[in-house]
Amino acid sequence: GGAMSFLKRFLPPADGVRHQQPDTEVLLAGRSLGAGTLYIAESRLSWLENSGVGFSLEYPTISLHAVSRDLSAYPWEHLYIMVNGKFEEETKEGPVAEGEDKEDSDDDVEPIAEFRFVPSDKSALEAMFSAMCECQALHPDPDDDDSDNDYEGEEYDVEAHELEQGDIPTFYTYEEGLSHLTAEGQATLERLEGMLAQSVSSQYNMAGVRTEDSIREFEDGMEVDIAPVVAGQFEDAEVDH
Amino acid sequence: MEISHSVKERTIAENSLVILLQGLHGHVTTVDLRDESTATGRVTNVDAFMNVRLAEVTFTDRQGTVSHLDEFFVTGRNVRYVHIPDQVDIRATIERQLQAIHRIRYFGGRDKGRREFPRAKHK
Repeated sequence: GGAMSFLKRFLPPADGVRHQQPDTEVLLAGRSLGAGTLYIAESRLSWLENSGVGFSLEYPTISLHAVSRDLSAYPWEHLYIMVNGKFEEETKEGPVAEGEDKEDSDDDVEPIAEFRFVPSDKSALEAMFSAMCECQALHPDPDDDDSDNDYEGEEYDVEAHELEQGDIPTFYTYEEGLSHLTAEGQATLERLEGMLAQSVSSQYNMAGVRTEDSIREFEDGMEVDIAPVVAGQFEDAEVDH
Repeated sequence: MEISHSVKERTIAENSLVILLQGLHGHVTTVDLRDESTATGRVTNVDAFMNVRLAEVTFTDRQGTVSHLDEFFVTGRNVRYVHIPDQVDIRATIERQLQAIHRIRYFGGRDKGRREFPRAKHK
């Protein structure tokens, strides 16, 4: 075919190749670039023609991929890949082969490129698709400011905890601790405090002792209805707290 | 309803609404993409980065052309909106996902007894 200037000569990837599919034709915007081998590697996606020239795609530039088996839309089952960006073979006008989608030529819309990888072995499409999914997941969006991914051990890592047996977390004051809890944690805390409130009154009745400190501790943010105590009621009792 | 094997991914999911999307496994859902195309299909996986995998998909591109795709994967970055099906109880779904995460965190893998909360130092 004509000069495809984005094609260059390079060696196939050596490491992290999750899937390799020989005898795979690739089409860009409906034009065939020839037959070669598709390498779905952890670092990038590469295709090399049998002559040794080819191209690579970086996963962050790939917005979606899919398996197409609808022969009424496209005559061969293939792996479809949509890439953000322009590749030099795209033309703004002109007839498009086989009636498939033309490239969007609007200036104010992000340009996209559509690749179709047609393996001679159709049964490989599942594996190719899955390998793509796995590799995409290895390249999460670095610009994602939507979510706070900066977690400093908020998750209770059980294994780590068991290994560092001396490392007991510090005790939070009520307000501090509350802000560290998820909604579920807060609900659990309320439940436990409710249970504690019920047991507090009996506990302190049994001991017959109420100190100023203990009253303050249990009145923090909690409605505790402690029944009046008869001092020394169980003086001789042995109490296990 | 698969929970990730990664501690980091579980933490991310637990602290964002991705956890709701992860509860949509098996449901037919429409995903609106950043470029205004849409994909309707059955959710097979959503990860912590909001990458969405669908099966049996009707895809409408930004020009309105419809195509049918067997398997479909879109990166989280390109997802604008995920439609929650009417029959999904959002609150129950989130709670169920949280419970699944906590089962793994506290009881998964080993037989050793696990404390649910870290011990607190007493004054």
